[in-house]
Amino acid sequence: TPSSLSVGGALGDPSPFRPSRYVPVSAATAFLVGATTLFLCFTCPWLSEQFSSSIPLYNVVIFLFTLANFCMATFMDPGIFPRAEEDEDKEDDFRAPLYKTVEVRGIQVRMKWCSTCRFYRPPRCSHCSMCDNCVEEFDHHCPWVNNCIGRRNYRYFFLFLLSLTIHIMNVFGFSLLYIIHHTKQLDQVHSAVTMAVMCVAGLFFVPVAGLTGFHVVLVARGRTTNEQVTGKFRGGVNPFTQGCLKNIAHMLCSSQAPRYLGRLRKPHSVQVQPPFLRPPLSEAQLAAKVLDNGIQQSKSSLEIMESQSTDADPPPPPKPEHRYPGLPHTQNEECSLLTVAPPTPSLYKYRPAYSSPGKKHTASTHSSKMSRGNSMTESPSVPVTTGKPSYRSDPSLSSRGGAGCRGGGEGGRAGSGGLGGASAFGGRSYPSFTDTLLQSAAASCSSSLRSAHTAHNALGPLISEGTTSTSYKSLANQTRNGSLSYESLLTPSESPEFESHSLSTAPGAPPILGYTSPFLSAQQREGSLQACPAPLRPSPNRAFLRPTSSPPSRAPPLSPRARSLGSPPPGPAPGHTSLGKSLSYGGGAELQHRPSSSGGGTPMPKFTYISLFFPPPTISSTIKQNVANHNTHSHKPSGGVKKVTGVGGTTYEISV
Amino acid sequence: MAETHSLQDLRQAAVASKVFVQRDYSSGTICKFQTKFPAELESRIEKQQFEETVQTLNNLYAEAEKLGGRSYLEGCLACLTAYTIFLCMETHYEKVLKKIAKYIQEQNEKIYAPLGLLLTDPIERGLRVVEIIIFEDRSIGSR
Repeated sequence: TPSSLSVGGALGDPSPFRPSRYVPVSAATAFLVGATTLFLCFTCPWLSEQFSSSIPLYNVVIFLFTLANFCMATFMDPGIFPRAEEDEDKEDDFRAPLYKTVEVRGIQVRMKWCSTCRFYRPPRCSHCSMCDNCVEEFDHHCPWVNNCIGRRNYRYFFLFLLSLTIHIMNVFGFSLLYIIHHTKQLDQVHSAVTMAVMCVAGLFFVPVAGLTGFHVVLVARGRTTNEQVTGKFRGGVNPFTQGCLKNIAHMLCSSQAPRYLGRLRKPHSVQVQPPFLRPPLSEAQLAAKVLDNGIQQSKSSLEIMESQSTDADPPPPPKPEHRYPGLPHTQNEECSLLTVAPPTPSLYKYRPAYSSPGKKHTASTHSSKMSRGNSMTESPSVPVTTGKPSYRSDPSLSSRGGAGCRGGGEGGRAGSGGLGGASAFGGRSYPSFTDTLLQSAAASCSSSLRSAHTAHNALGPLISEGTTSTSYKSLANQTRNGSLSYESLLTPSESPEFESHSLSTAPGAPPILGYTSPFLSAQQREGSLQACPAPLRPSPNRAFLRPTSSPPSRAPPLSPRARSLGSPPPGPAPGHTSLGKSLSYGGGAELQHRPSSSGGGTPMPKFTYISLFFPPPTISSTIKQNVANHNTHSHKPSGGVKKVTGVGGTTYEISV
Repeated sequence: MAETHSLQDLRQAAVASKVFVQRDYSSGTICKFQTKFPAELESRIEKQQFEETVQTLNNLYAEAEKLGGRSYLEGCLACLTAYTIFLCMETHYEKVLKKIAKYIQEQNEKIYAPLGLLLTDPIERGLRVVEIIIFEDRSIGSR
């Protein structure tokens, strides 16, 4: 859809106006401005008379500084990446992996494919589900300023916290001074107001100071909140730290980073016309050319793979029977800092590709990690191009169609499903309906498992595809950042689709009630919850939550990169059933756990639950929004869940 | 026929493909692009030239992100003026970005356009990739 490809980036589907997201920031502003004004009007006059007029002056300066930083933190672009354009994405073959590994200062770091933004997220970048943007050096989404905190505005956020702490201490201290000198006149208005201000100051001091201290530690260690809370460098080495002093210097003194959005795009003023000059060819190149003529495609693809995969493990050479191109290089995948899991084969970026169910299932047994694409299907044609040059139509795609097992790379952008047995022609995938009924239970389950992300909520075209629609729709659903969002967690309780999920376990159940994953992305939920009948809205997000019952499930494995399916169940019916069950269990577990999560402490299997700084008074009623505001989920491998109580009422439940 | 032919000559060349030079994260999150020579450019430009261009770009970005006295002063001034200084003054980074844009423009005019290539300023893509457009070479025929 055009909106998600806007060059300005960051637009996506127009998000519905949610007044609830303005509540915390309005409250914060009201308290800050209100309490300070009262302090300045009722307490300061006496202070300036009694002691010195520099006291109110000092307080005003601190207050203005606090306010300035607050405004900057609130209104400044945190470092939003514009959406990648089509041409950039085409370069990555639909078989491209969900993760690319990069070495940062000798440490392997994974870059994950962002299905919404259509690029591999740079290190330290994360996709904010609230804002629906990838943010550079993402720290967290702060509800108090109703903005993401990222590279560009972290400094202001930090200074805001610092100055606010000082301001609160000032206000409290001077108010106390006033009260001490007016113990006999406490019935006066001035005294009453001062006491009220003191109370407010005292109340906010603890969480604010706590948060400030937390961020001081973060800066000293060179970590973002996201990294800290997801335990990325726990027990490991942080490649991004430059030492305490340098970290502080970098945070405070580096030049203001530029914004990426809203820049004027100057068109090229240069005329490019043939005839073009050519560089002299080297001997080797000439020789290559001669040999090249007959097998142009594959050679160039090999070259392309070599040249473009410097930041990823080199893909294996293309072979006709090559089924799992990612397998050979998946060993390196898990050397990342995320002490997540033992190496698992990486899955592939889902391009609305199709695989025959049989192959898919076999593939699934091998891949328990997230797949970016439904690329388990092998292609009979030789070039397994990870880096086809864009704009070149890939003849191999069409020829693959004949094999009847590939979905189109080019055509499936809208998120066609990964139902088994598709025949692909010219890059488009067409579900094969004959397979549908047979395989739908398993296939749709696995296909929707693998498809967590799609760039577009293209439910329309998907629905029209009839029985395969469920799996397609699952592909259409996006997860914002490949992880669970709180809002989507709430979905199961609200939508019957969750129940319908269990129906999917029945073989031969109408495919339309095929696998529905537990989680709808926020937009899905909001946009389509009312519009579509529940069963037609599988959420691929769930998919990666409960990859398996038999193979050790790792939440990650299932997180399909957007249009891909995660690890499909190990075998058709039984696997599928158990998978279905585990999925519904998982969803249910979350469901049940949701309300208690604010207090924290409910172990959530295979699920990372992080709540940051609930505004204390509004836990039960606004839990949804608050929780939604702070989604920092990462899928962790199965294991225990560790509850970590942080500062200021934060509760982190991290599955380890 | 003759008219069509001359019209074709006047028109800009058609885009054949695009190459994307990725970021080099080996030194951390500083802005740096890979100097590895992409295969598609093998027959279009000399490796040396390409590497030189990318290296210069890297140096310029390093200058932009440098923690010098300049950026420190800028920060102090911004603080003191409650950040209102940003309304009138251009930040150091932005100044360097302008320099980079000029450099890319120059490179395109002098070197790349005659070769049938075009560099796109990476800032347009969030400093994630350098896009190189490869134009179709109709006069010689496909390579």
